[in-house]
Amino acid sequence: MIELDQRIAEQLTEITLNSSLQVRCGTSNAFLVTASLLEPLVTEFEMGGIYISASRPAPELIDTLTEIGVPLGSIQFIDCVSSALLGGTDNPYTNISYIDSPIMLESILLRTLFHLRQMPTEQNFVVLDSVNALAIYNEERMLAEYLHTFINTFRARDVLTAVVTVPDQTPPSVLANLDLYCTDLIDRGQVVIS
Amino acid sequence: MFGTPQYTRDRCVTGIHGLDEILRGGVPYGSTVLIGGTCGSGKTTMCIEFLVHGAQMGEACAYFAATEPSVKLLENVRQYSFFDMEMVDKGLINVFDMDVLYSWLGLTKATFDRDDIDALVKAITDIVNTIGVTRLVIDSVTTLCYKVPNDQLIRDFLFTLGKTLATQGCTSFLVAEITSAGAKAHWSSFGVEEAILDGIMVLGDIDRMGHLLRYIQVIKMRGTDHSRAKYAVELTPMGVMLTPMLKWGVGSR
Repeated sequence: MIELDQRIAEQLTEITLNSSLQVRCGTSNAFLVTASLLEPLVTEFEMGGIYISASRPAPELIDTLTEIGVPLGSIQFIDCVSSALLGGTDNPYTNISYIDSPIMLESILLRTLFHLRQMPTEQNFVVLDSVNALAIYNEERMLAEYLHTFINTFRARDVLTAVVTVPDQTPPSVLANLDLYCTDLIDRGQVVIS
Repeated sequence: MFGTPQYTRDRCVTGIHGLDEILRGGVPYGSTVLIGGTCGSGKTTMCIEFLVHGAQMGEACAYFAATEPSVKLLENVRQYSFFDMEMVDKGLINVFDMDVLYSWLGLTKATFDRDDIDALVKAITDIVNTIGVTRLVIDSVTTLCYKVPNDQLIRDFLFTLGKTLATQGCTSFLVAEITSAGAKAHWSSFGVEEAILDGIMVLGDIDRMGHLLRYIQVIKMRGTDHSRAKYAVELTPMGVMLTPMLKWGVGSR
């Protein structure tokens, strides 16, 4: 059984709704970190939210989160990966909407706003997983511009924003911009010993 | 920078997410606006949403369907949660088939002459007057203009129609089909519509690495200051949604 990182839950008690979190993780602990982030948001803070999945297909993520007991009833997934996989959208989940490609950045933003308008919960979050996955498809300057718009759009609506990134796979200028736009940092990045 | 203008025209609030902000409050009342766009760019959805918002406020609305039968149109728009068939049943949204209107007026010829055009404008105006229409859509005016043999007649037709509708206090969206929103394209099919109407909004697609992103741009709108930037469009079950297009993601027009 996977053991969630309780320090993330503790850190979440110190933030406000209009905070924007930069969540740094490594390639090996990315799932643990996102699960440790989601679990307290849903159970302790009783929030609903949107999970934007650009790093892996949402059905895979749902299966794993369900397995470790994270309640997903109040989470809507936006899957930017599965449409590019043959048969990727053929699954029983009704809480996933699909974006053709991670290149459709504006569509991701609008789809998130659309789902937020439908959320029954009063306090909501948006998790963007992940910046490094978006960086595979999108040009550096465009991605930096997008994150600026993305974070400010949700902050203005009092929606907690969590932007997940693997620092050593993220363009330095994008990372520098994240440092600038985000109000809080959860750092679980890998320690590289050279 | 220039301060608040001393006089502002009353606005017809479109109710379309983001569009009223772009137009600084909505379309000035009584305007005739060209909605130019490529196929699949969201023209019809946007126009229907414009009418639905009017109907929600108790306004009488009219939609003249020239490109597809009204039955097919209504079947297509029923998928949207913003659309309520009761608005049609209650007579708030009135849908007319142009083909039916042509036969009713005896306009069976392949091309229209000036008398035919006058008869058509009068018929539309009579409908507007009788029902008290304040929001009107003709989808599309391009299909209609194909029956008009020369630019001068098209110009006269649109000018007379726009003037008459404005006099009735009716805010109108005239849909124009354009084949390309590329560099050499006009905002309309015949190139004359754009000059005489009050506003032009263009919908199109931007090809981003093989994926088409819908956009809208307000080119002209008399009587209001407005943004002239491109905005990304998403068609959701709740209607059209807009957000500014990423500056680094916009190609040339």
